[in-house]
Amino acid sequence: MEEKDVILEVKDISYFVREKKIIEDISFSLKRGGFYCVIGTNGSGKTTLLKSITNNIELSAGVVKVNGKSIKKYYPKQLAKEMSIVWQHNEFLFDFSAFQVVMMGRMPYQKLLQADSEKDLDIVQKAMEKTNTWNLRNRSIKQLSGGELQRIMIARALTQESPLMLLDEPISSLDIRHQFDVMELLRKINRENGTTIFIILHNLSLALKYSDEIITLKDGHLVHFGKTRDIINKENIQNLFNVDAEIIDKDNIIINK
Amino acid sequence: MKDLLWYFVLSLIIAGLVVLGLFWGSVDVSSLDENSIYIIKNIRLPRVIMSLLCGAGLAVCGSAYQSIFQNPLSDPYILGVSSGASLGAAVAIVLGLEAFFFGIGGFAFLFALATVWIIIKIASVGNRLHTTTLLLAGISINFLIAALIAVLMVLNSENMDKIIFWTMGSMSATKFSDLWIVFVFVLIGIVVIRIYARELNAILTGNESARSLGVNVERTKKIILLFSTLMIGIIVAKSGVIGFVGLIVPHIVRILVGSDNRRIIPFSIFGGMIFMLLADILSRVLIAPSELPVGSITALIGSPFFIYLLYNAKKQLNP
Repeated sequence: MEEKDVILEVKDISYFVREKKIIEDISFSLKRGGFYCVIGTNGSGKTTLLKSITNNIELSAGVVKVNGKSIKKYYPKQLAKEMSIVWQHNEFLFDFSAFQVVMMGRMPYQKLLQADSEKDLDIVQKAMEKTNTWNLRNRSIKQLSGGELQRIMIARALTQESPLMLLDEPISSLDIRHQFDVMELLRKINRENGTTIFIILHNLSLALKYSDEIITLKDGHLVHFGKTRDIINKENIQNLFNVDAEIIDKDNIIINK
Repeated sequence: MKDLLWYFVLSLIIAGLVVLGLFWGSVDVSSLDENSIYIIKNIRLPRVIMSLLCGAGLAVCGSAYQSIFQNPLSDPYILGVSSGASLGAAVAIVLGLEAFFFGIGGFAFLFALATVWIIIKIASVGNRLHTTTLLLAGISINFLIAALIAVLMVLNSENMDKIIFWTMGSMSATKFSDLWIVFVFVLIGIVVIRIYARELNAILTGNESARSLGVNVERTKKIILLFSTLMIGIIVAKSGVIGFVGLIVPHIVRILVGSDNRRIIPFSIFGGMIFMLLADILSRVLIAPSELPVGSITALIGSPFFIYLLYNAKKQLNP
């Protein structure tokens, strides 16, 4: 893999809380335009990995590079142009409209005291149309359903126009129909905009169906990294989750326990 | 454009209240003789201006605190910061330190800042602030400071009147010479908070969310806390503790114009001015020719309002 094809490089990162190792010696690189998925049990370090990549925790060791440059060396606004993040939990105690929340995605491009420009409005509208949320624009963010809210948060990430989008279990509180909707949307964003998607998932069959490559974590260590089809098999699932699984075809898995 | 029209209407209301504040009071000034002019110019005008400044400053501080603490119930009074400032003022008087470190204002600011630091320490769980603990911390600090001030007053009975003034806010002693410093600090504070309005909006959606939008969350919070607490310190030093303005005004503004701080701040300035002018006029005319402390008026309106908000918050949490 050539250096210019690498959008994100994670190199030997570890994070300890006192003596406890949350993640240890994790390394991998993401190619521009790929669809990556991270799986692992609860407590395997998935969210910590995401927080490391997004500069939300101080690493004990290692370095995370975006476009070959350490994330520590970016100004916060610059980094926000390179990567957008959709978090699992979104708490809204204050009443913003869906439109206002999506518009916040334009902040990295706006100077202090600068008003929202025509271009910003245009980008917001396009992002909301793409995520099928334009009809929700005047609704209060507090009154949206879980699926609607996640699509709004993805629309906000889209307006950041970043080449890399990271998502922390965005579908774990949604019903199956909405899980598919969100995954289809991400595939569309991946294919049409060329955005690199890096998503933490719990649902193995969705990971199998949508991702090109997969990263598996166990007890804070990276176990596998490679083509999804090669890695998701009976043996590996048994090893990772301690469950008995059957792979039916390229899209389907049955978990027997 | 629509906002500009509203600014104009609100300015007219304020102008009307200013006229009312200048001409209505315990002394009849309708004759406009020399004595009346003196009262209007030297007694009522400074307190009316002080009401405008304090109202604007306290209301904007309230909205800033609510954003920083991501909690619609926080305001400098509830969190004990205003009381902290009044303790600073009382300590400066008792120890005779009025001539050191910018005098009473400087001490009020330092104590207010210390109070902010203490409540954040108490309410932090990891890097999050726990909502209920934050309010309880503020209320406990208020108790503690009330007790400390009571002790100071008993030990220094000769200064009791002066200290009481700081615990129950009043505009009645305002002099022209006080207005400049309040004006300068309120202006600087409001400008800084307005500059960071968009960042504050992002912070309202959560720290991690704001960080992912490129906001330097820690730095923004520190700057806003510093400047709003500076405003509080100066306001308390000059007019005493006036509670609930920062709670009521932004709350009503939020219902009317939504949660965007870029609109909340200008509307809170107008709203705070109107609220404070009304409270000051009421404090003068309710039991004329005597006068009530304006802090007691705002508290009489504000406490039931706070209880109402708590009741609503409860319903939201446990539907």
